[in-house]
Amino acid sequence: MLKQLQSQVLSNRQISADFFELSMRWDKTAGIALPGQFLTIRVSQDSVPLLRRPFAFAGFDEPEQTASIIYQKRGRGTEILCGKQAGESLDVIGPLGNHFPVNDGQGESVAAAGGIGLGPILFLVNYLRERDVPVTFIFGCRNSSYIPDNTAFKTASPNICTDDGSVGFKGNTISYLEQNIKINDKSVLYGCGPEAMLKGLSGFADSVGAASFVSVEQVMACGVGACMGCVVKTASGYARSCKEGPVFSAKDIVWE
Amino acid sequence: MGMSVDLSVKIGSKTLPNPVGVASGTFGYGSEYEELLDLSCAGAIFTKAVTLEPRVGNDIPRIIETPSGMLNSIGLANAGVKKFVSEKMPYLKKLPCAIVANVAGATEPEYIQVVKELEEADGLWGYEINVSCPNVKEGGLAFGTDPGQVERLTSTLRKLTSRPLIIKLTPNVTDITVIARAAQSGGADAVSLINTLVGMVIDVKKKKPVLAAKTGGLSGPAVRPVGVALTYRVSRAVSIPVIGMGGISNADDALQYMLAGASAIQIGTTNFIDPRAPYTVLEGIREYCVGNDIDTVDRLRGIIS
Ligand SMILES: Cc1cc2nc3c(=O)[nH]c(=O)nc-3n(C[C@H](O)[C@H](O)[C@H](O)COP(=O)(O)OP(=O)(O)OC[C@H]3O[C@@H](n4cnc5c(N)ncnc54)[C@H](O)[C@@H]3O)c2cc1C
Ligand SMILES: Cc1cc2nc3c(=O)[nH]c(=O)nc-3n(C[C@H](O)[C@H](O)[C@H](O)COP(=O)(O)O)c2cc1C
Ligand code: FES
Repeated sequence: MLKQLQSQVLSNRQISADFFELSMRWDKTAGIALPGQFLTIRVSQDSVPLLRRPFAFAGFDEPEQTASIIYQKRGRGTEILCGKQAGESLDVIGPLGNHFPVNDGQGESVAAAGGIGLGPILFLVNYLRERDVPVTFIFGCRNSSYIPDNTAFKTASPNICTDDGSVGFKGNTISYLEQNIKINDKSVLYGCGPEAMLKGLSGFADSVGAASFVSVEQVMACGVGACMGCVVKTASGYARSCKEGPVFSAKDIVWE
Repeated sequence: MGMSVDLSVKIGSKTLPNPVGVASGTFGYGSEYEELLDLSCAGAIFTKAVTLEPRVGNDIPRIIETPSGMLNSIGLANAGVKKFVSEKMPYLKKLPCAIVANVAGATEPEYIQVVKELEEADGLWGYEINVSCPNVKEGGLAFGTDPGQVERLTSTLRKLTSRPLIIKLTPNVTDITVIARAAQSGGADAVSLINTLVGMVIDVKKKKPVLAAKTGGLSGPAVRPVGVALTYRVSRAVSIPVIGMGGISNADDALQYMLAGASAIQIGTTNFIDPRAPYTVLEGIREYCVGNDIDTVDRLRGIIS
């Protein structure tokens, strides 16, 4: 049940070079969030920045009634978000959008996150494992300074790739997949990250006929399906990434 | 206290329950917001543009934030009049608010055909004619920039319907009062304004406009003073009701429009940010009336001389 909430910030801390993790109270009247879904935050009552900012759920604890996001400091909106202190209230709307389909367990699951695509993938990995669906988790970033220092990440046994090789595999997540992961037509791949990565993931899955699901990022105005601003090109025409997405079957997307 | 305020607004032969509407293109078809706002508080829902054929809309990117505003180039994306009637109207007509179809077209016959088909649909309160669209037969210049075209289109549509006919004016003209008078002469029951202002944002790194359509329509708090000034001028140029909009984000903003001469207002971009705004704005207008001993909202209109 999508709702507008005044959610209390429980913690907000820096976890890497420019990643932050914010956890908040989640009122159960707003229902549960699933991996891939997102929320929008009105970071300020001022008219600059104006629009609500979308962020994927990075964690959700139903019994504890908490939700978290992992975000990157990018511009004015996320800069304001960095300043939110525990105890402050946040104007949040969610859960929004669709979610990653759960692998039925027939074949191998592989979930890859590039950079700030981490949040929804981390949530998915934990969610699948809680349901006894084994999944290989891959995280790629520029260098060691971007590797998040938070428990959820460290306990999720990530296979780390860095562009400069300062930690783990040297290269991006797609090279890692190609060199280290064997998949077949029963495998399910999941991805969130830069467009080039999602496209690469899609190609890698297609090469053996595996399914792949990716979460895309488009600038949004309403986040609820009303404005038609956030569309992505799919085989069957434009689709709203906030409503029909943000998760799409990668083969349905018409890449630029 | 407890003074009751008459909030109703007369337009043509009909009455809106209250002066607060939600603007075309910013509220989808109502259902998108049903979990975030008690829709019964809205006086009217102005739908996304309805065209004869389905329109996919413009290329992406379609939106970019600007200082206290946003640019959009959605491009009238909608499923066409037939689907509007079969898929959107069944939900909309059950709502207690007035449902106003925002009608757009590329040629005069297209507007005519859309209105004819909508006349068959019950539960529709009236029409808001979006004349900001380029007229493909007239070299792509927007209908709404030429008083002759506006008057002709209005009088043609007037003959097709007894429902309230509202002409939505574009601010992208030299003298909006001339266009407003043309709508009145054509038989419009009201004019609404402002549609978005043409704007452009350039990405200097990529050396190209951010929006795929290059230009887009500016909306949000940044345009409010423009909308208020044009409402002030138009309401003095015509005797039909004026529905004001542009950057309304709270009751004070709405009151500025009403004091300037608007009979009713619409909330647009603010729905994206604060979906409860129609409710808080209406309550704020009511409180203001009570505080100023005004028993009917119509008395707010044009208090500013
Ligand atoms: C479904 C979805 C999920 C997302 N999940 C996350 C996440 O988990 N963590 C994270 O760090 N970021 C996420 N983002 C991106 C995040 O919304 C932007 O980083 C944020 O809005 C930037 O705001 P800003 O004011 O700091 O930056 P700005 O200076 O406004 O913009 C910096 C860049 O952020 C993007 N952006 C700006 N406004 C929006 C908007 N309204 N909608 C979407 N993108 C925008 C643009 O690409 C822009 O170039 C997600 C975006 C979407 C659409
Ligand atoms: C995303 C978006 C889509 C819009 N689509 C339409 C439309 O289809 N027809 C129309 O007449 N106006 C449309 N408008 C204009 C609004 O109805 C309104 O006139 C304008 O945004 C100014 O009001 P605001 O500042 O409160 O948003 C649209 C505006 C936005 C932001
Ligand atoms: S952001 Fe408005 S339709 Fe998706």
